[in-house]
Amino acid sequence: MKEIRFVQAINEALEEELSRDEKVYIIGEDVQAGTFGVSTGLVHKFGPERIMDTPLSETVIAGAAVGSAMTGYRPVAEFMFADFMYVAGDEIFAKAAKWRFIHGGTVELPLVFMASMGGYAKLGAEHSQSPESMFMHTPGLKLVVPSTPYDAKGLMKSAIRDNNPVVYLFHKRLLGLKGEIPEEEYVVPLGQADIKREGTDVTVVATGMMVQFALKVAEELKEKVSVEVIDPRTLEPLDIDTIIESVKKTGRAIVVDEDTKRCGVASEIMAQIMELAFDYLDAPIQRIAAANYPIPGGFMEDYVLPQTKDIKAAIEAIAD
Amino acid sequence: MELTQDQLIKLYTLMVRTRKCDELIVNALKSGKAIGFFHSGQGSEAVPIGACTFNLRDDDYLYPHHRGHGIGYMLARGLSPKPFVASHMGRVAQDVEGPTARERGIHGGSGTIGASFVLSAGMGITAKKNGKNQITACFFGDGSANRGTLHEAMNLASVWKLPIVWVCENNLYAQYMPLKDSMAREDIADLASGYNMPGVIVDGQDVLAVHEAVKAAVDRARAGEGPSLVECKTYRYRGHSEGGPDISHYEPRPAKELEEWKKRDPIKLFRENLLQQGVLTDADVERIDKEIEAEAETLEKYADECPIPKPEDPSVLDRLLYAE
Ligand SMILES: Cc1ncc(C[n+]2csc(CCOP(=O)(O)OP(=O)(O)O)c2C)c(N)n1
Ligand SMILES: [Mg+2]
Repeated sequence: MKEIRFVQAINEALEEELSRDEKVYIIGEDVQAGTFGVSTGLVHKFGPERIMDTPLSETVIAGAAVGSAMTGYRPVAEFMFADFMYVAGDEIFAKAAKWRFIHGGTVELPLVFMASMGGYAKLGAEHSQSPESMFMHTPGLKLVVPSTPYDAKGLMKSAIRDNNPVVYLFHKRLLGLKGEIPEEEYVVPLGQADIKREGTDVTVVATGMMVQFALKVAEELKEKVSVEVIDPRTLEPLDIDTIIESVKKTGRAIVVDEDTKRCGVASEIMAQIMELAFDYLDAPIQRIAAANYPIPGGFMEDYVLPQTKDIKAAIEAIAD
Repeated sequence: MELTQDQLIKLYTLMVRTRKCDELIVNALKSGKAIGFFHSGQGSEAVPIGACTFNLRDDDYLYPHHRGHGIGYMLARGLSPKPFVASHMGRVAQDVEGPTARERGIHGGSGTIGASFVLSAGMGITAKKNGKNQITACFFGDGSANRGTLHEAMNLASVWKLPIVWVCENNLYAQYMPLKDSMAREDIADLASGYNMPGVIVDGQDVLAVHEAVKAAVDRARAGEGPSLVECKTYRYRGHSEGGPDISHYEPRPAKELEEWKKRDPIKLFRENLLQQGVLTDADVERIDKEIEAEAETLEKYADECPIPKPEDPSVLDRLLYAE
């Protein structure tokens, strides 16, 4: 094993896959420098033909990734901030997501849409969003939201090897997080949840930064409540079985989501728990998510985004 | 109309104030007082000041470029710098004197680069419909010119003869991307011919040249003859954003390039011009510097005393979300 930061874990996955398959390339704004560091340095090894700096043109970054994927390449398209993916709405939600379906399954779209996501950096409404629910809502897109360096690397490798469009969102505040990964090559398959902490009293389901929040709270409460933290790791495909198994054991569930509460990822997971494990529940499921507002700039974001104290209060209340 | 001596001095003073406010935020970020991003506009002060100070009516619409987070545009429009300084410290401005941004046609800026074009098209529609003979001035960077929104908006504006002045602040880079690798041509003004409108190139370091070129475009728009494009060639002295690298692709920007541009610093050029003409004396220059230095100190202290927002009742946010 070796210790590595989240940002290096993604970088390693990209490097390994670029080495493994010459059809893989990276396309986006400032990917040679790497705005967040995830693609930094790769240009030295692979050159500007495979680490492609584009003009400021998200629509063509997304659309060209689709066009190139359907004709034999495996692009990793980078959007810097997930907020900028909105600029390429049709290309992502209609072309990438639906093109295979509407062409009778004759088209393959092996591509990755990669971007930073999330708040807690005081960057305001258009550089802080967690848009998972939009992607999860859209049939045809897969969705990866890693929470540890180990998962970040293994899931990126799977995302690149997948023959479908995969949205890969890394949290900008997790990039410095350290964790252990094996020296040797490994992948983390899409669609397998991970039990990040075992417990018996309450199940907390979370992804991305919220996993780290939940783990912190679980540790703080360990004398009082035994918390099980489940990280689905990919929201599509969603490993609901692992979640349901946990809920059957604990009888209590809290879903934590950095995205807006209304119609968010938490709402969907909650609904599935209700459908599949209603008889096992000892208390109503709780949802901890962002308040139904845009994310305000500056210090005001604390009043909208979910905080560890909210998770703590919910666990204490549900375990009572 | 020739500018009066007072007007010339005003242009000079506004450029120095713009630079000072910019430096204030750069330093506040270094000392940990300011929060979030800052994209310094040092080196390009002649664009907002030359374009906006004497060419626009109070009720004209203005979409500022994001560099310097719009401070040059705000000062040129006679707005107090208090909200600019306070908000970069995460604080709520108190006791702001003078007109509000809305009262001077500034309706915000976008976090996503390139929204400027299409929103300005809408302001152009308003200006054309409402019979007040207003115009819209839209400022944008060379990088944002690569967004598809530019094409949609410029085409629409030309077809409908909307009263819009498109002004490009071409500083040769978009974040780490040099213009030469992101456009197949050197001059953004060339775009104008595709939309059948005038396109001119102007020395963006020369505040009077910017003033003149934008004046002609504003006059044309106001006369109902439709949009024009003005490209200002300029440079940014600092990296793309504070705390980030100052690079072209992945290598340092050429030091020589910065050196050359600094020789043509817009404030220095204009000061020399005004001294030569006898509009300013050395003593005037010193006095202006001192006054602006004092203003900056006052602003910093003022910001320290502005409150950090803490809603007693977070539902105050509801008021922001929907109108009555
Ligand atoms: C849609 C979108 N893409 C990318 C960015 C990130 N970004 C912010 S400013 C900038 C460069 C803009 O370049 P230009 O228009 O030339 O303006 P400059 O910053 O050089 O003044 C980039 C890439 C963004 N904010 N929005
Ligand atoms: Mg630029």
